[in-house]
Amino acid sequence: MPIDKKYIGKTYGPTTYEVGVEKLREFAYAVSGGVPSMGFTGSGAPHSLHPLLHDAKAAAAGPYGAIVGMAAFANVFNIGPFGQAVTDPALGINLPMLVHGEQEYEFEAPIKPGDVLTTTGVITEAFDKVGKDFLTVVCESKNQRGELVVKGTWTAVIRRA
Amino acid sequence: MAKTLKVGDSFTHVRECDLYRPIYYAAASGDFNPIHIDPEAGKAAGLGGNILQGLCSLSWAVEGVGNFIDDPGRIKRVRVRFSRPVAVGDTITFVGTVSKIEAGVATFDVAAKNQKGDDVLKGAVVETRV
Repeated sequence: MPIDKKYIGKTYGPTTYEVGVEKLREFAYAVSGGVPSMGFTGSGAPHSLHPLLHDAKAAAAGPYGAIVGMAAFANVFNIGPFGQAVTDPALGINLPMLVHGEQEYEFEAPIKPGDVLTTTGVITEAFDKVGKDFLTVVCESKNQRGELVVKGTWTAVIRRA
Repeated sequence: MAKTLKVGDSFTHVRECDLYRPIYYAAASGDFNPIHIDPEAGKAAGLGGNILQGLCSLSWAVEGVGNFIDDPGRIKRVRVRFSRPVAVGDTITFVGTVSKIEAGVATFDVAAKNQKGDDVLKGAVVETRV
């Protein structure tokens, strides 16, 4: 069933996320072919992982003065309002038929430990095409100083049973 | 010190979706959708088994660019379309090429193919501050 266009403009959030350095490391380890753990494997950081993403000493001497998150760490916190939208009973989305169709992020600043990120989202598109329903939610994450850190554009595709 | 770029520069970045990668990525990201961590749930959804989170593939594309420019903090924008699921056992080869440098921004066009040569991302673009 197509999503009613009257929901375009509906807002979700805010959701709040406080960035911790070990969580940044765990995410980077998992992406970079390692295990998201500091202790269980004893293998440490994957060899191809960039030092600015995990090595406190190298990062302190680098351009940001501290470890920064992988840009794709936005996957962890920018999703909040999108998650609320696709599970909103009013929209009636059949979740097992949902796939992630497209994703865009625009980064205004590196993600840093200690950032407290507040994310709000708004439905910007809802339409059906070739028997599938499309939903786009734009999510903006701002830090504790009110500065935009990342804007994410999330597009879900819902297949019909 | 970030790398100096010119149009046509390119890199290759290879990542494998090993048996537990979707579970490791779930633990790190919070995406525990059963189709990613449970082969039976993936089969029931018609996917032939559990599949990797699309956002892990996006992360790999961005990682490849960040490593190549030697500064993961300079990523400015990424856009991808998820065109084919990544299955356990797949090896994905990312080839990124600088297509444009303009107004302090370098644009990488990124191809992402599995071991059969099928695109798993389409129209993938990563921009960096130069």
